[in-house]
Amino acid sequence: MARRTKIHVGLEIGTSKTCFVVGEVKPDTAVRILGIGTTKTAGVRKGEIYDFPQARACLRDALVKAEDASDVEIGSVFLAVTGSHIHGVNNRGTFRLPEGQSIVEADHVEEAKTIARDVHIPADHVHLHPIIRNYLLDGLYQNTSPTGLYGRTVEADFHIVHGIGARIQNSIRLVRETPLEVDDVVFSPIATAQMALNQEQRERGALVIDVGGGTTDYALYIDGSIAASGCIPVGGDHVTNDIHLVTGLPFSTAEKLKIAEGDASADPSRSVGIAKLDDDRGYAEVEVRRSILNEVIRQRLEETLRLVRQRLPEGAVETLGSGVFLTGGTSLMRGFSELAFEIFGRDIYRPEPPDVSGVQTSFKDPRYATAIGLIRYAQILETERPVHDGCISRVLRLFWPFHR
Amino acid sequence: MIPYQRDRQQTIPSSSVKIVGLGGAGANMLERVALDGTEGAELLALNTDARTLAACVAGEKIQLGRNLTKGLGAGGDPDLGHQAILESEEEIRLSLRGRRIVFLCVGLGGGTGSGAAPIITRIAREEGAFVVVFATMPFGFEGRRRREQAESCLNELAVLSNALVTFDNNRMGELVLAKQGIHEAFSAADRMICESIKAVIRLVIRPGLINVGLDDLMSALRTNRSRCLFGSGLAKGKDRAAAALRNALASPLLDQGALLKDAETVLVHLCGGEDLTLYEVELLMQRLQKFVPDSAHVLFGAAIDPAMGEGLSVTLISALPEDALAAAPRDSVDPEEKSFLDPSESFTTAAAAEPSATEPAVTEPEPDAPAARPSPEPLSLAAGPTSLEVAAADIPRLFGDDLPFAESTGDPQPNTTAPPETDPPTAKPAPKFPPAAKPEPEPPLPEASEFPEAKIGPFTFKPAQRSPSAPRLWGKTAPHKQEPPTGDPFEDDLETGSATPTPEPPATDSPAPTKLKLGVKPSSSQNELALDSAPRGRFEGQTPNVVDGEDLDLPPFLRKKK
Repeated sequence: MARRTKIHVGLEIGTSKTCFVVGEVKPDTAVRILGIGTTKTAGVRKGEIYDFPQARACLRDALVKAEDASDVEIGSVFLAVTGSHIHGVNNRGTFRLPEGQSIVEADHVEEAKTIARDVHIPADHVHLHPIIRNYLLDGLYQNTSPTGLYGRTVEADFHIVHGIGARIQNSIRLVRETPLEVDDVVFSPIATAQMALNQEQRERGALVIDVGGGTTDYALYIDGSIAASGCIPVGGDHVTNDIHLVTGLPFSTAEKLKIAEGDASADPSRSVGIAKLDDDRGYAEVEVRRSILNEVIRQRLEETLRLVRQRLPEGAVETLGSGVFLTGGTSLMRGFSELAFEIFGRDIYRPEPPDVSGVQTSFKDPRYATAIGLIRYAQILETERPVHDGCISRVLRLFWPFHR
Repeated sequence: MIPYQRDRQQTIPSSSVKIVGLGGAGANMLERVALDGTEGAELLALNTDARTLAACVAGEKIQLGRNLTKGLGAGGDPDLGHQAILESEEEIRLSLRGRRIVFLCVGLGGGTGSGAAPIITRIAREEGAFVVVFATMPFGFEGRRRREQAESCLNELAVLSNALVTFDNNRMGELVLAKQGIHEAFSAADRMICESIKAVIRLVIRPGLINVGLDDLMSALRTNRSRCLFGSGLAKGKDRAAAALRNALASPLLDQGALLKDAETVLVHLCGGEDLTLYEVELLMQRLQKFVPDSAHVLFGAAIDPAMGEGLSVTLISALPEDALAAAPRDSVDPEEKSFLDPSESFTTAAAAEPSATEPAVTEPEPDAPAARPSPEPLSLAAGPTSLEVAAADIPRLFGDDLPFAESTGDPQPNTTAPPETDPPTAKPAPKFPPAAKPEPEPPLPEASEFPEAKIGPFTFKPAQRSPSAPRLWGKTAPHKQEPPTGDPFEDDLETGSATPTPEPPATDSPAPTKLKLGVKPSSSQNELALDSAPRGRFEGQTPNVVDGEDLDLPPFLRKKK
């Protein structure tokens, strides 16, 4: 079927930066990044907005930058949300065929899916994504719908992401006020995984960890389908805050020190001497013993990764064939891959910090992984969606943004 | 605080429960029951075969037909079993006397089981007990003759017993995988029966938060000519509510819940540890709705049993009219069972006594509820008076020797600086409600230092802090906490502070502003955890980010040093 070139916009309102990525999806499904608009965020903590006016100002600023850079008027966006209130759970729906019927019909599969989707979530939570993982027919795994096969019990495995409705609605409201339309709301790690992993890596098993400013999001893929996802409300901000608390340096200096001198590997050879920062006039502004600085950083990140590992299903890490993919701004920390290897014991992939700035390199920049992933996500949605449904579902989504 | 004793009369003491195993199969079931432990219920083994009887673990054994069979079995002849039990009738009657509920486990088809079961049921009923019969039907390959014997006995039992639960050995295959050993199959069947017995015992013995008693059990089973549907599931850990229900529905008697769709009355009983949440109950009932018709009468009961630990057990009991049963093709192997329930005189009195006895159970949770909502330990308080007692006893221990902390934070906990047990009169406010608590603490005010426990009132029921009387009370107690110089401004501050609805404290002129702020701030969450008043830098003033008891907003570097 012939598709036109479409432009999608991904928006991530992160703890440290608000970032628009404008991407063009060509008819041959190739993606080209037209422009990126990014600005430092204020008013967001641990992935959740706590100061609306500030966040709104940042959003507008980023929007203008993105429109300038890409020369596109942005009308609607795919929004990535995160926060510790969002959880991913797996649920299996079982449907026994009625007596006297032995062929699975589409209705039966639908019923199994309905049961699987109907995971009981707290009253104030809403579903973000119900993602089908696989089907089982009488205990046998089926990758596709078992309609038409003989069997007795149909089961559907779902991964369901849900979060507190009010908080998600608030993020949406913020974007609507800008005013922009929200095409879809996507849980950040799922968007990141679209960017970070290809199909083969998902088949072999992979874990994506997005260590951002305020949160650490993770998504685990096993056998090609998502097996776990979630968010830990700890990120780069915490590292800065730890440095501030331990050394007593102001935040801005602590942040600079972290970026310039921090190292997360436990390598003692990197913890020798004193880390210094010079101010504008060339005087030493700060002097901190590297051993302390690195230890503070390492303990924080180690704890965070251990929390991620704890939350994964039992034995999942051992089955990862591809390994662990780190993204997010904090993953640029020196020695982070050594630390991650220590904890997960699998291959660690970490994007290198880009040496040249510019649109081309931002593809590689882990800081934009989520926003670029959103474009991929949009593209996948586009291919899955029937061609004709355009404006109706858009109108529908206007009223119910969680519909997909 | 006065420990509030529940009225135990509504429940049946476990000593008045007797589990009777009859014949060889009954002895096996009894063994399983004994192995799993049964909260003090007595076990009685009956058999004609002296050797099997000797090997049985039951505490009480009666050999049937000593003179008739001379210690041998009944040889598959029900008539012989019948005569044998008549010989020992008096002995059995004596043993069953005074029991409120009797479980009879029997394998039908053989001599002793088929011959003696109706007689024992009759004896037990005559002694005024509620009789629940768990009967297994013989395998198909055991032949027609045996099957017929079993069925005729089952018909008798259906008339005689209060409730009849049958398990068809032909369905044993559903319990275990095909390749598992025969031993496993039998023990799985025994285990299922044992679980059922234990579930019924739990149901009638445990005083419930929402009580179900024998009366409910009766009405769940009160369908003439019916078969009992029974499912019991136990699960632990995450998602235990769903897992427990799944296990309960997996019972071969329920056929994955498919049989429940014709049920008229369904009794659901939940029993969980102290961490059972309303949410879990809601979840479970919601799932169950899928299997139960809308018109069905659902009798719901819930109980808290500390012995359950982290487990959650679900028991489903229902009865299916026989005509509905015939429609279900999978049950075609089953015999036509009849259960005619006619509660004997003696039992109806017991059942009639139930409703009045349940009343306290219904009203009981109410005093807990308001106290539990704003209190720092909603769970333990909601769990009932006994745990309330424990909670209050624990907290003073935590804070009692920690006065400096109490002084600096100014949050509600320090009010319990002394153990409440020391002064009986001060315990009075406990059962009352917040407004009533106000006048109590005022008299001891002059010698407040001697009677700090007077403040147990406002502590136990935190709403007092929000009631109009609270600020004053709070202010007056503050000075005695060794802050004479700042006494007055502090008091004023606190008054205005707690009078305004915002949880943010005023803490303007107080000597330890940051600490005070920390102490009062997270009033929405459990402020008792705010023990360490370390600064949080950027995350100051936010709800604590606690995972596994560690505050993630504090540097691990500092946390691990401690």
